[in-house]
Amino acid sequence: QVSVINTVDTSHEDMIHDAQMDYYGTRLATCSSDRSVKIFDVRNGGQILIADLRGHEGPVWQVAWAHPMYGNILASCSYDRKVIIWKEENGTWEKTYEYTGHDSSVNSVCWAPHDYGLILACGSSDGAISLLSYTGDGQWEVKKISNAHTIGCNAVSWAPAVVPGSLIEQPSGQKPNYVKRFASGGCDNLVKIWKEEDSQWKEEQKLEAHSDWVRDVAWAPSIGLPTSTIASCSQDGRVFIWTCDDASGNSWSPKLLHKFNDVVWHVSWSITANILAVSGGDNKVTLWKESVDGLWACISDVNKGQGGVSAVTEGQQNEQ
Amino acid sequence: APGSSRVFVVRRDQDIYIQTLRKLFNESHGIFMGLQRSEEELAGKSRKAQLVQVSKNYRSVIRACMEDMHQAAVSTRDPALQGQYSTQVSILSAMELIWNLCEILFVEAAAAGPLLLRLLDWVRLHVCDVDSMVREVLSSENPSKHKLFWNVVDVFVLQGRMDEARHLLSKEATANPTSMNMYKILDDLMKKMPMPTLGNTQTLTELELKWQHWHEECQRFLQDGTFASNPHMESICKILLGDEDAILEKRELMTTWYHFLVTRLLYSHPTVKPMELRFYAQSSMDMFLGGESSPEPLDMILMAAFEFEMHQVIKECSIVLSNWWFVAHLTDLLDHCKLLQSHNLYFGSNMREFLLLEYASGLFSHHSLWQLGVDYFDHCPEYGRVYLELHIERIPLSTEQKALKVLRICEQRQMHEQVRSICKIMAMKALRNNRLGSALSWSIRAKDAAFATLISDRFLKDYCERGCFSDLDLIDNLGPSMLLSDRLTFLGKYREFHRLYGEKRFPEAARLLLTLMTAHIAPCSFWMTLLTDALPLLEQKEIIFSAEQTYELMRCLEDLTAGNVDKQKLQEDDVETTKVEMLRLALARNLARVIVKEGTVEGS
Repeated sequence: QVSVINTVDTSHEDMIHDAQMDYYGTRLATCSSDRSVKIFDVRNGGQILIADLRGHEGPVWQVAWAHPMYGNILASCSYDRKVIIWKEENGTWEKTYEYTGHDSSVNSVCWAPHDYGLILACGSSDGAISLLSYTGDGQWEVKKISNAHTIGCNAVSWAPAVVPGSLIEQPSGQKPNYVKRFASGGCDNLVKIWKEEDSQWKEEQKLEAHSDWVRDVAWAPSIGLPTSTIASCSQDGRVFIWTCDDASGNSWSPKLLHKFNDVVWHVSWSITANILAVSGGDNKVTLWKESVDGLWACISDVNKGQGGVSAVTEGQQNEQ
Repeated sequence: APGSSRVFVVRRDQDIYIQTLRKLFNESHGIFMGLQRSEEELAGKSRKAQLVQVSKNYRSVIRACMEDMHQAAVSTRDPALQGQYSTQVSILSAMELIWNLCEILFVEAAAAGPLLLRLLDWVRLHVCDVDSMVREVLSSENPSKHKLFWNVVDVFVLQGRMDEARHLLSKEATANPTSMNMYKILDDLMKKMPMPTLGNTQTLTELELKWQHWHEECQRFLQDGTFASNPHMESICKILLGDEDAILEKRELMTTWYHFLVTRLLYSHPTVKPMELRFYAQSSMDMFLGGESSPEPLDMILMAAFEFEMHQVIKECSIVLSNWWFVAHLTDLLDHCKLLQSHNLYFGSNMREFLLLEYASGLFSHHSLWQLGVDYFDHCPEYGRVYLELHIERIPLSTEQKALKVLRICEQRQMHEQVRSICKIMAMKALRNNRLGSALSWSIRAKDAAFATLISDRFLKDYCERGCFSDLDLIDNLGPSMLLSDRLTFLGKYREFHRLYGEKRFPEAARLLLTLMTAHIAPCSFWMTLLTDALPLLEQKEIIFSAEQTYELMRCLEDLTAGNVDKQKLQEDDVETTKVEMLRLALARNLARVIVKEGTVEGS
């Protein structure tokens, strides 16, 4: 039921670490150990190289597209300790901001829900998580959570924007009181949930279940239910689905999706959160769905990569 | 070793991209919508008739699509495409087969009697492998001499097509006068065979009685050896008696176990009740396949239908078919027939909604079929709205027209968040392409004050650089939306000033200009420009500014220059200094003139 519709030959000279579709599934951004970030137009099964961005001095680990209402903006993070934000201006892509506030490799970047503004979370091997907020006129404000994870932070993922009591109509024009949260995964085998309180970021929850480094976390999109769901995957080959039933976010319970035979690198949710894509060192990308009895079943697998499949992204148009 | 430099793009639900299926999706959408809106108040028979009609409509769409697909297969020269089309044809054919059976058993819920007639129709319509043979024999010069003659007669008998069988047999009788006796008897038996009717002309009990008598009569003739000398006719008589072995011998003419089932029922249990079908179905399949071959997915689906296991039918179809179209629409119909118990599913409120959500979600990755998806989501009461909200934001807004289309849909459904989001995206796009007017109108629509301010600044900057405004129409007709942001208000009012000036309404223009500064509508950065704009008004032959106004202007100028921290810079900038001097001079002169004018008594 899942078929390959396009193969993009990126001409990257080294391993590809991440590939992300933009919001509409019309563009693909890839990044590699060859230090470059490339952007392709992949409409109608084509592949036209739009940009080859150079600026990093080491392998680039992840890329993330910002919401289109802010323009065409892409963030990238690298072993070189830098986070670069690229912007398309007058048809060309250029570096618009460079953040060098980390002491070692930055492993993960994730844009916050557009409702919060233009905010980027970055997780680094120095154990810290930085939050870069665009304040206007090319200026970015930085907030840092030091020692978020001992040894290092490998992944960050934002919770969807949900206003507490959002079932009640907000009078239009009033800015809703968002409670900002995101999840992070680290080398301390933990998944942590962070909450913003009085402009400070505090650790709200510690989720323990993995026995090795957590490689990726993905907070599922909301379909209006009071439950929250997070997927996490680890060096220990396990993928857990964490659910929290109450709105206050106090009790999270894990369910094991599957134990794989090799490290699992990435997890990614579909737009309506009913399918989870998982990719791992065992060369496969598998798609999972929750069945009637609450168990997760694999609905298909795509066995196409040579070498470990290191990145997976779910979009409306395409999955990969 | 490093992995390959290739990235694979993978997709589900490929079927929506098959051109020839487009008709299926579009037309079934129309039927679906009609069903949702149909009269629920119609009770009993009329409602049932309505639902049966809907079912028939769906089936005719499937058949039309099959036709198109068949044409495509025949006319293409590409063997790969041909294979693809042919596969699609068989899939569609299977779908229609299943749907038809579901219509008979579930939607129409045919009762004993009519049930058999419907099943006979069903078999006749769908077992087509023998059609060419039939045509060949009928169109030959001397059918009774054709080597396949008896095969065709058998086919007619097996399918209960008595008149046609008798007609063919009469040809044989004329050709072979010696068997005239046998023929007359057989013909008579076939003519008299009691069949269920659709009207209310006989009860089941009457039918059963008549049938029993007739059955016994056939039995007598067989046992008397009436047909002993003609094996063909003898075998037909055995079939009429429902002899399973005799029927099974004609296996190749029936081709499927469900044909065998219906033939069996015709000749041994014509008054079969719906709930009894399952037993005959299971045994028929076992007898027909005889342990040589195992049932295929299609067989299992049909079996589930005969067993009235609706959920099983849906489940099996979901597994076997490559897209959700079939199960979504069929389940929706069955739901309208009030046949599905609401099993509350964990993830999709109920089966119907779950399938519709899946189907509609699939449509959203298509550049035009997504519009159909909107309607399906509308009819999913639990999650339809949120699914729509999530999906609609991802539609690429490749043209302004498309964006407007998407917007209309969101506005109709009061999806304010999505409206704002889309307007902001369009505004940003326009700004990137330097289409300021478009960007401004989008940000007004998005009620995005911050963005409106940004764009107004750009307009003003443009004006300062080029001395004229672009997109005058837009700015002139801002109306109340001017109030969205201070900067936008200023832009509107400033343009108004220019208009007034152009229309030579100098006193009004002057008043407005002054208000712009004194009411702090204008940003400080712009004051110098405004004061410079005042110069021509000060230099007019007529006195425009009153004394009070002139004092105000002077105060503004002083505020401006005093507030200038970088006095040094001001002094260095010759142009600026010159401007300030000219202004001071003009203001002073105006003041002088106006004092005299205001001090003069009229007519003295």
